[in-house]
Amino acid sequence: MVVDLRKCVRCYACIAACRIEHFLPIGVSWPRLVAMETGGEHPTVSTYSVRCNQCHDAPCVEVCPTGATQLRDDGIVYVDQDKCVGCRYCVIACPYQNRTFLSKDKDKGFFPGRVVTDFEKAGKELYPHTHGTTEKCNFCMERIDAGLARGLKPGIDRDATPACVNTCPAQALTFGDLDDPDSEVSRLIRENQGFQLHPEYDTDPSVYFIDGKIGVSDEPSETSTKEEEPVLA
Amino acid sequence: MSGFNMEIHEWMLNYTRQTEWIDRRGLILWIAFYTGGLGGGLYLVSVFFNSIWGMFISWLIIAVLKGGAHLLYLGKPQRFWRIITRPQSSWLARGFIFVMLFVIFGAIQLMLSYWLPDTAGEMVFKVLTGITALVVAVYTGFVLNTVKAVPFWNSSLLPLLFVLCGILGGFGISVLIALNDGNIDLATAEAGSRWLLLANALLIAIYLWRAAKREATGKQSVMEQIRGSSAPIFWIGIVVMGIIIPLVIAFTSYAVAEMPPAVLVFGVACEVIGGLALRYCVLKAGAYSPLVARPEQQ
Repeated sequence: MVVDLRKCVRCYACIAACRIEHFLPIGVSWPRLVAMETGGEHPTVSTYSVRCNQCHDAPCVEVCPTGATQLRDDGIVYVDQDKCVGCRYCVIACPYQNRTFLSKDKDKGFFPGRVVTDFEKAGKELYPHTHGTTEKCNFCMERIDAGLARGLKPGIDRDATPACVNTCPAQALTFGDLDDPDSEVSRLIRENQGFQLHPEYDTDPSVYFIDGKIGVSDEPSETSTKEEEPVLA
Repeated sequence: MSGFNMEIHEWMLNYTRQTEWIDRRGLILWIAFYTGGLGGGLYLVSVFFNSIWGMFISWLIIAVLKGGAHLLYLGKPQRFWRIITRPQSSWLARGFIFVMLFVIFGAIQLMLSYWLPDTAGEMVFKVLTGITALVVAVYTGFVLNTVKAVPFWNSSLLPLLFVLCGILGGFGISVLIALNDGNIDLATAEAGSRWLLLANALLIAIYLWRAAKREATGKQSVMEQIRGSSAPIFWIGIVVMGIIIPLVIAFTSYAVAEMPPAVLVFGVACEVIGGLALRYCVLKAGAYSPLVARPEQQ
């Protein structure tokens, strides 16, 4: 996948599309928009669309003690929630912090204690999430597999392409085969100096970014937890 | 409703402390990590002294406290048996296998030591249990040390630090056993504690010094530990209670012929608190580099 940061308009459509596609619980978001202020006197907000990088040398696959996290031949890293024991070693090992442990407090429902929406009811039937296990973006592998079975091409045909890519109105997301030098993603990376996040970890991510000055600097600001000390005003 | 707020992801621009393995339920894992080192260290010390009481206590520590804490922490404890399926790449799987082997070999060895002492079988199982005890004491160091994403942990010294701390705790518990006539020579146990305390203090200092040199995130973790929110636990828990007080007691006992048992018990309690504080600070200070860097930082 290629994320063209020049085109992203921060509409959050990718986040919404993923939530709908996978019936994500309220406290879970597989793709995320990282927001930051840039500029001094007249700052502007910049946003980066991030998700699981589907690394070829994924630390999460290596450390998983049960084999629940696996790397497919096509490069997609996925979690088999029936095998996951919830040790959270993969959450710790991911340098990109793109894994979520699904605890009950992250799945309280959209209207806790009041009503269970039809959307939630459908989700429990169609795409159940297992409490006590970890989960993450899987590039909509169910869509890809179903599309491939129908002879469709991922990245070209919508029914074989991740929901966030289909939804992006600015076409900032491009999906395709990185091993094919003639694919659109390969061309974009080649012609725009696409880069990966934190290449120093030797994980070889499958998500590339274009024209964002990210993943380069490692200078300190301060240590903070997810909940405390937000830096931005 | 925080899932819809933009602000919650700002943490990805900063150094981010790992929280899963130390905050909230993560505290259970902290106990599991410490008791593994303590139990393994105590078994090795007990084999050295040939103390069946020490071996039995170490077996209880690992089988009940460590094993129980690990099970409690898991999101799906009923699937715990699956953890053994990936020893080829996962230190957690390797550690779990060795914990199981320790529990099995240790139980057999204890029975042999009680009913058939000084037999070849007892010796064989002492060796086997000793090897597994060493791995149980050291593997948590490898579990952390293999996480490249957290530079503070990514050090070859960490397993050594954990196993040394475990053996030090083992010597401490052995002093308590010696005070209760548990077939352990008190003077030897005190001498062991004395020198291991010095080695442990030196190793902690070298570990922090090397971590501070290991890219900016490692330095940030060290600063967090000595000046940040973990500083009280580091200075009071590790330095004062874990090193200074036990060292003063240990070297005073060297000069004085006989120390009051209450002082020795206090020293051992401080050692245990120091070991707990060390594990806590190591887990608490583990931080990730920012996912994306702010342009003005470049």
